[in-house]
Amino acid sequence: MARIIVVTSGKGGVGKTTSSAAIGLGLALKGHKVVLIDFDIGLRNLDLIMGCERRVVYDFVNVINGEATLNQALIKDKRVSSLSILPASQTRDKDALNKENVGKVLDDLGKLFDFIICDSPAGIEAGAMMALYYADEAIVTTNPEVSSVRDSDRILGMLASRSRRAELGLEPIKEHLLLTRYCPKRVAEGEMLSVEDVEDILSIPLLGVIPESQAVLKASNAGEPVILDTDSDAGQAYQDVIDRLLGETIEFRFLLAEKKGIFSRMFGG
Amino acid sequence: MADASIEFKGSSFTLSVLHLKSSELADIRADLTNKVAQAPDFFYRVPVVVNVEKLNGSIDYQGVKTLIEEFNFTFVGFTGVIAKAQRQQIRDLGFSFVNSAKANTTTKAKISKESVVAKTESVAATTQRHLYTDKIHRGQVRSGQQVYAKEQNLVIIGSVSAGAEVIADGNIHVYGSLRGRAIAGATGHHSAQIYCQNLQAELVSINGHYWLSESMEQHWDSPVYIHLTDNELTSSKLI
Repeated sequence: MARIIVVTSGKGGVGKTTSSAAIGLGLALKGHKVVLIDFDIGLRNLDLIMGCERRVVYDFVNVINGEATLNQALIKDKRVSSLSILPASQTRDKDALNKENVGKVLDDLGKLFDFIICDSPAGIEAGAMMALYYADEAIVTTNPEVSSVRDSDRILGMLASRSRRAELGLEPIKEHLLLTRYCPKRVAEGEMLSVEDVEDILSIPLLGVIPESQAVLKASNAGEPVILDTDSDAGQAYQDVIDRLLGETIEFRFLLAEKKGIFSRMFGG
Repeated sequence: MADASIEFKGSSFTLSVLHLKSSELADIRADLTNKVAQAPDFFYRVPVVVNVEKLNGSIDYQGVKTLIEEFNFTFVGFTGVIAKAQRQQIRDLGFSFVNSAKANTTTKAKISKESVVAKTESVAATTQRHLYTDKIHRGQVRSGQQVYAKEQNLVIIGSVSAGAEVIADGNIHVYGSLRGRAIAGATGHHSAQIYCQNLQAELVSINGHYWLSESMEQHWDSPVYIHLTDNELTSSKLI
């Protein structure tokens, strides 16, 4: 059985697509068969972050409407052969999806892959509901900031009430907290919510803390998911996330502000 | 042999009580005619207890019963008789004597200034004591969610997030942080209370009296219960 994981947040711009891309690629690098689905119909982004935007011929909506087969629409990643991307349609809107058809596509994908990562659109409307409906697990992406936390809380309520698992009374969706754009220095100065604050409010298990990093923007523009940048702290933090998703216990890193060493202090490095 | 086919249980009902102010049957008839004419359907087959507390001297119990049955009421019995002899007289006539629990007038409709007053008395005191059962919610109440315990107390095993709303006709217990809104005694119980392990609420309300967060400074971020004292919200430390 494939694990269906939705990457969601409620609020926009917190790093859902960046995280989906990094997690999808990271799992594939570990040898798992992974498909990344862009549920943000009309605002297609995942293909850009993955660097495959020029290879999109057919999309998710074409498959839903029976205009293309899954094999025609799936784009194989050039870096890792066990990773595929199912891009969103840029010309349609979110009403193009319905539960029945999405369920069928996910069923078919489940036969081909170990992990199905659903990159959810922002908001709490139909598109976001569709992305989370069939999920087994949810990665709730949150910035350490009050409005993002509030929106994540709202989405957690939706996961518990509007998903297939909730409707059928099955075991609830497994929730993971992914804190992104974390800046320990600003936390120390009291400008940003701390990991503990966010955990206290949302009370779900922490999957990872991704530090605010220049590497993320660079990676997005280059179409190379940041997890490939193994020198960057963000890349390493995503690597930890992958290990935790696969059941390992890894200590959290990048939670404290870096103390300047004697050399950097002397030479202003 | 066990009585499988029947079972006796005590229940409380709200009954209409007809208060007589005159024992003159003709007066009662005239006033009842007026009253019933106003809403014949409303009174049809309504069970009625006749209160004779305000009457002196001899009363024609049989006459009263026959009279009110003429108006299509369902006669239940008499109430408000203190003298033993009269009670015995009522029993001897084959009528029942009904003891009212502490009367609580909810509506009052005067049939006539002179002879009769109809009141609805709550014979039941159950609702006043609100022996509510508990509605238990396990887990966090998330932003945007609303939990309502109708005619129940509400127990939340978890926190109530900012932007969430918990409402109960009875008390509210939050075994976690209360960050959202809590409304207790929603249908009007001034004795309802709100308990929480950590008070950071947006709003708390009991029986219509409410506080916004700025009024909660005294016990902010601590275990607290909130109640009404002399129609004023008050918070007290739990521990």
